[in-house]
Amino acid sequence: MIKPEAVGLSLKIRPPYRPSTIAINRRSALAIGVGLVAALGVVMYVVKLFSWGDRAEWAYPAAITLFVLSAVSAAPLVAFASRMARGYWALPTRRVVELFALPSMVLFALLIPILGSLPPFEQDGVTRANLWFGWGGGAPFLTDQLAVSVMLLAGGALMWFAAVPDLAGPPSRVRAMPTWKRLLFLNWTGTKKQWEVLRTGIRWMSAFYLMMYVFVTMILTTDLGQSLLPGWRSGIFPAYHVITSFQGAVALIVITLFLLRRYAPNVGQFIGDEQAASFGKLLLALTLFWFYFFWSDFLLVWYARLPSEVAAVQTNVAVTYIVPFLIAMFGQFLIPFVTLIFNPIRRKLARLATVSVVVLIGLLFDRIRLFVASMSSENPFSHALAELPEPYYPNVIDILFMIGVVGIVAAIYLWVLSRIPTPGGWEMREGAMYRREQKYMHAEVLLLGKPD
Amino acid sequence: MSASNSDRKRELLGLYNEPDDAADAVSRLRGAGFGGNDIEIISATPYPEGAFGEQHAKHRLFAFPFAGAACGLAVAIAWHIGAQIALPIVTGGKPVVAVPAIIQVLYEGTMLGAVLFTVLGVLFESRLPDGVGVYDDRIADGLIGVSVIARERRIPDAQIALEEANAVDVLSKDGSLMRPAAASP
Repeated sequence: MIKPEAVGLSLKIRPPYRPSTIAINRRSALAIGVGLVAALGVVMYVVKLFSWGDRAEWAYPAAITLFVLSAVSAAPLVAFASRMARGYWALPTRRVVELFALPSMVLFALLIPILGSLPPFEQDGVTRANLWFGWGGGAPFLTDQLAVSVMLLAGGALMWFAAVPDLAGPPSRVRAMPTWKRLLFLNWTGTKKQWEVLRTGIRWMSAFYLMMYVFVTMILTTDLGQSLLPGWRSGIFPAYHVITSFQGAVALIVITLFLLRRYAPNVGQFIGDEQAASFGKLLLALTLFWFYFFWSDFLLVWYARLPSEVAAVQTNVAVTYIVPFLIAMFGQFLIPFVTLIFNPIRRKLARLATVSVVVLIGLLFDRIRLFVASMSSENPFSHALAELPEPYYPNVIDILFMIGVVGIVAAIYLWVLSRIPTPGGWEMREGAMYRREQKYMHAEVLLLGKPD
Repeated sequence: MSASNSDRKRELLGLYNEPDDAADAVSRLRGAGFGGNDIEIISATPYPEGAFGEQHAKHRLFAFPFAGAACGLAVAIAWHIGAQIALPIVTGGKPVVAVPAIIQVLYEGTMLGAVLFTVLGVLFESRLPDGVGVYDDRIADGLIGVSVIARERRIPDAQIALEEANAVDVLSKDGSLMRPAAASP
């Protein structure tokens, strides 16, 4: 039997278990290294701004932006899923994943020049494929950024609401706050009504976040992908993108948990085989989904043999970007599938984290093959590619930009880890009330209470 | 004591080590005739609904997203139709304002309104009920608080009910009401 970490079951309500923030020494090699890479990202962003309006110049930034949307922004949804499914195994991980809502905010800044580089819907009397029916009310720039803003707002509110009971402290502290701050801390006292409102608020925000995440994925993958590459028409592609995003998010979470377990004992003490086994199953299921969605998409084009669609598939799958595609296929499907079917790999966090690194590399190359191909496409106003394009290779600035964005995300995440107590104290205490190990004949079993 | 003084409401807060004692206090208060709205449970950890025999905590948070969604939808419709009328372009022979073409914008507006109003709703509904003003930081240390709002003339009844349930302490806004020997730390 896979057991929860004993320390998680023995948490006390009185005196209450109180999580702490993760102390990060600003002079440590980690902090300095991440800070430098993040600074590099900011510098590269500014350098890239000199290429404002040059769509091809923003091809690799678009790929890394969609990578962040996939792996980072999808992570908070795991907290939602585990709350909805009453998955108590995920209790120590909920705060860890919700905090990814903050680094997701970089999407807004990244998308400004990327969306600004998109061509108009109509040029010289020719209209390009688009999701907005040529609407002149600000699409795609305004509409896409508005959708991203709503998603980020929901994610930020979700993260904040869930953290308030741990951040607020005793009522005397809240009472002494200025009015605006007291409002921000929801006037937290711990009355029954406040708990109920908090839970309901978290549920609503999580649901809105999911609804907006799927919508944002649909419009961004269309505006930065399908609408720019002539002949690329796929109804299933946004769903493929969402599923692979979930796969990438789970991989990112596993790596984060592994690092926390190793380097942050106050969080790591609660993370063990129980979480590994559950995330391992999720990762395997999502890996299988990769094949389903890819094959469903590919088979229709292959069978119908419409020249324009075949050319698009040859571009981002079979010919032009075949190397990134193969890396993606191995990273997102073949390697994880072959390894995760074995219990000893799926149930051990360190091994699972190794597979997760492979998955994330696959995801990055998947986004490159999809969005570099479309962002660098020469004529988005035609309805079919006249001939297959040459691959658009990254230059040094592109590579530094992508590394820098990863640094910015890591720096923001580390910063928020050092500000918000992790894991979520009130949920951990509540979970300890409902879970107990008990002897059943000669075995130890886990008794689980589900109050609602 | 004048009639107006005896009608004035005051709050008492009982503190308990064990959830069973807090539940006992709620039962005793009910037995003494205190209504559900007068009793409030305060804790640092969420307990299951009804664990203390308390009344269901009512709130109207569910109304906020719907109100926000309606407002957002209205704004989105105005935005879209306004833009189409200001710049009427017939696309593919379809009407200038065609429903399939505006769904995404309506969805965005609706969601924006729903999210904003829900955030406001959480802020609004988190306000404390009228009269709740006695706190003790020991609640943050794991004690469970049972708060009761009573008219002045009924304060002794409330105090007896709270104390008989094995209270660690009973407080009013003026401080502890229990004798020093009785109040345990």
